[in-house]
Amino acid sequence: MSFEAKSHVWDGIATIRLRGELESKSAGRLNRVIEEVATQELHRMVLLMDQLTYLSSAGLRSLVYAHQKLGRGVEIVLVGALPEVAETIRLTGFDRSVVMQEPTGA
Amino acid sequence: MTDEVSTPDAVGPRVADLVRGLAECAELTRGQAYRLRLAADEIATNIVEHGYGGTGVVAVCGGVDDDRVWVRTEDRAPPFDPRTHCAGAVLATHPADRDPGGLGLYVAMAGLDEFHYEHVAGRNRNTMVVRREPGETERGTQDV
Repeated sequence: MSFEAKSHVWDGIATIRLRGELESKSAGRLNRVIEEVATQELHRMVLLMDQLTYLSSAGLRSLVYAHQKLGRGVEIVLVGALPEVAETIRLTGFDRSVVMQEPTGA
Repeated sequence: MTDEVSTPDAVGPRVADLVRGLAECAELTRGQAYRLRLAADEIATNIVEHGYGGTGVVAVCGGVDDDRVWVRTEDRAPPFDPRTHCAGAVLATHPADRDPGGLGLYVAMAGLDEFHYEHVAGRNRNTMVVRREPGETERGTQDV
């Protein structure tokens, strides 16, 4: 199971492209990327999720971590989540705290 | 043969391999396979992390019947029926204010068509089931 999280920050927007499977073994890597981008002044963090094929509860904990590191003033946008991944996000109520967009809306 | 895993990092890959094989044999839809894998991953990870406190043996096997695909875990952690876990307080809290954790078992249960728990001879036994689409006739058993 592989996982990649590549980030760049521009004009107060951190964009992180996720690829692979986000679960207990890989969530720490995303948390470290979140820590890195959180050192800059942000108003939005965008997670590109169209290549994220698996999301367990450990991955959901990374969303909690992002909220905690960034604060409520930073909008979190999830773009292009696959149906199964989006279902888990909605099931657990995280769609109440993030914006979920289709890829064309990125 | 039954596979045994003993660390949180080992659970996910072994469960993924097992469910991949079962899903191919049973021709599960992508959604069915995903839900079964997620449930088995969450249940087994919870056993290792919370039942044993970090390290302990979980036996994992699975099979394909006419009408269902199942994954079973067995462990010797203290008795625990995952159905007794309540995620209501976590779900009622705004995600930005939540403590991390507390949703794995909820996610697992929500995706299954059936779940069975027994405590037999000192072992917890969890059986996770998704039903196959009507008309599928393959039959087989796969232990990893």
